[in-house]
Amino acid sequence: MAPGTLDWATIRHRYLRREQVLGIVYLLFAIAIWTLFLPHVEAGAKAKFGLNVVTGVKPIPVPDLVVPARETILLLGFIAAFMGGWQLSRGFKEPQALLAVLLVIFLLAFLVWATAGKSFNLTGMLASTVLRATPIAFGALSGVWCERTAVINIAIEGMMLSSAFTSVVIASATGSPYWGLLAAIVTGAVLGLVLAVLAIRFRVDQIIAGTAINIFAIGLTSFLSHSWLSVRQDLNAAPNFKPIPIPLLAKIPVLGPMFFDVNLIVYIMFALVIITHIILFHTRWGLRMRAVGEHPKAADTLGINVYLTRYISVTIGGIIAGIGGAYFTLGSVGRFDEVMTAGKGFIGLAAMIFGKWTPIGGFIASFIFGLADALQVKMAILRVPIPSEFLLMAPYLVTIIVLSGVVGRAVPPAADGQPYVKE
Amino acid sequence: MKQRKPLYTLLLLIVLLSLVVSACAKATPTPTPAPKPTEKPTEAPKPTPKPTPTPAPAKKVIKACQVTDIGGIDDRSFNATAWKGMQMAHEKLGVEVKYLESQQQADYATNIQEFINEGCDIIITVGFMLGDATKEYAQKYPDQKFAIVDFAYDPPLPNVLGLVFSVDEASFLAGYVAGGMTKTGKVATFGGIKIPPVTQFMVGYEQGVKYYNKKHGTNVEVLGWQTDLKKEGFGDGVFVGNFESTDDGRRVAESFMDEGADIILPVAGPVGLGTAAAVKERGAMMIGVDTDWYISAPEYKDVYLTSVLKNMDVAVFQAVKMVVDGTFKGGVYVGTLANNGVGIAPYHEFEDKVPAELKAEVEQVKEGIIKGEISTGWPK
Repeated sequence: MAPGTLDWATIRHRYLRREQVLGIVYLLFAIAIWTLFLPHVEAGAKAKFGLNVVTGVKPIPVPDLVVPARETILLLGFIAAFMGGWQLSRGFKEPQALLAVLLVIFLLAFLVWATAGKSFNLTGMLASTVLRATPIAFGALSGVWCERTAVINIAIEGMMLSSAFTSVVIASATGSPYWGLLAAIVTGAVLGLVLAVLAIRFRVDQIIAGTAINIFAIGLTSFLSHSWLSVRQDLNAAPNFKPIPIPLLAKIPVLGPMFFDVNLIVYIMFALVIITHIILFHTRWGLRMRAVGEHPKAADTLGINVYLTRYISVTIGGIIAGIGGAYFTLGSVGRFDEVMTAGKGFIGLAAMIFGKWTPIGGFIASFIFGLADALQVKMAILRVPIPSEFLLMAPYLVTIIVLSGVVGRAVPPAADGQPYVKE
Repeated sequence: MKQRKPLYTLLLLIVLLSLVVSACAKATPTPTPAPKPTEKPTEAPKPTPKPTPTPAPAKKVIKACQVTDIGGIDDRSFNATAWKGMQMAHEKLGVEVKYLESQQQADYATNIQEFINEGCDIIITVGFMLGDATKEYAQKYPDQKFAIVDFAYDPPLPNVLGLVFSVDEASFLAGYVAGGMTKTGKVATFGGIKIPPVTQFMVGYEQGVKYYNKKHGTNVEVLGWQTDLKKEGFGDGVFVGNFESTDDGRRVAESFMDEGADIILPVAGPVGLGTAAAVKERGAMMIGVDTDWYISAPEYKDVYLTSVLKNMDVAVFQAVKMVVDGTFKGGVYVGTLANNGVGIAPYHEFEDKVPAELKAEVEQVKEGIIKGEISTGWPK
């Protein structure tokens, strides 16, 4: 940079402290809540949030949440304003994390505004959120397994699509979704191994290798779908996994339908988030994985087999993507349609990055995406005066805003994407 | 750099294989003698402009070619119905028929071009989304005959026959039935992508329910669509943003049912199959689109109250027949209740559950629409 030039970073550094900027942002939230929502709500209008669902194991009934709309929005605005004032005068210890709290407040105000004078089923939406988050979370977990050992897996989408296909065919042929799930696992493992061989043995550019797998998967499944499945319709009618209510826990209002009355694939997702977290951060194997991803040479010097670690991790990543693929068919409709994964694998990859390459972070990011997706539908049903085209963008917008604002800088494993050459 | 060699060979192999496979996926010709589209050869079509003609033909075999929209020939609704018309033409008129699937919007133009190179007598493009590509090629090749489903050009092109349908008339009837059959007082609809051929269904449906309300003093609510003629697309509502994801169809349906809706009309091709699965699980009802779903997707046959029929097969058949008879000229064909271009399917499993009075009223409403006494709310 030429001496004497003033760019934005310098100005901000000299004249505005980060804490003050955040305080002003908090206040802007308050103003936004008051100006955007308050004038459009009639006095005395009530917003009704249904907390009971009509399906599955009925949880213990609870009274629906009914709040006076105007007063609630006013109150939420005050909370935001108070937080802004506090931040400017005293300062919070973790102002960055509080941005998440503010976004929640803003979201609540938005919901109350949208629901004023009407009602919508909050529990139903949250249950839908978990389901919509499931394939994305599988994608994120698959990415964590691969990239923690420094192999970029951009082929998650292709792995999911292929597994969705094989799972339907096998489940239809055998009449059992369990065999279909096994087929999905095998498909994922094979494709994971292909990626591993390309990336580790042949040191192919990992982005290109992944893209090749994706193109291959889309072409092959579409071809087989219309040339073969359209003839053998009986092979495209798989039994799907039904929700399994967990005794007692499924009866908990709101949380029951969300977490304890879902199908097997969703339970597997929950389990994998926890298992991956434990393996990665609390076992010797996880430590090796991370060492291989951060500094393969040092790991090698200490006697860790870098190649074997990568082969195993990438194959496991493939298996996880495979189970995620089975969600689209066995976990949903039991039928394969061309390009039905609709980019969820790529979004999973984004969720992994926003989740800072951690399983729990990736799950939370997936949940936010799923929430935006489920919310978008409810908003359209509630006839929010926002064009449907914009509502459809909401999941993507919300993911970007929330995670870039709240998460901050994400640092990938140091050796990510670099092949390791043993000397 | 010795080690790099096998890597590129392998990669090249994979990429080549993918290209071959996706080429196969896109272009699958149907041989003349095959009566069903299902018996297709698996090899990729040769890019030779003219296939070997049948030896010493008494007269030239007319070749009709269909370019599908995204969603595939086996979507059991939109593309499949148009293809049915082509098969009819094959069986009854001895026409050679073939199709190319569009995997993405970029394929529209290339598929049309490929058929022009092949010397098709008429190219039938299926879907509103192909409107621009069809127009471009129709103007570039003024001697090539085209027919397009769901698009009418204004002013009309001399070599394009637009096949459009007053589906609002049929979905008005479906809305009327839904209004009479709902137990919760809430019915719902959603669309794939917000384009006129989709919203036309939704407008008719909503207005049909409202007409029922007016006649019976009821207050049945329609979720997922609100007509507003001032807005683009004549209203706004719930859309999933694609015509492929059955999972979306399922989740949206669950959302509707959570809000208390018990009859759903999904205007989104195969996405509706996800809706059917969800509706079946919860014991609600739904209405099929484009074709009679009781026949096209019988695995959910106990949930279909009826289907809104858009008899594209009849229209496509007529267009091909005009070419065979030598009477083809550009313009617009409008399928209506009056000429059976649109309609509603039998009630099938609900035959005994729909009250006789309601059935009679539906017939009256149908007469009213044909005579022009009842407005469906869709601007003509």
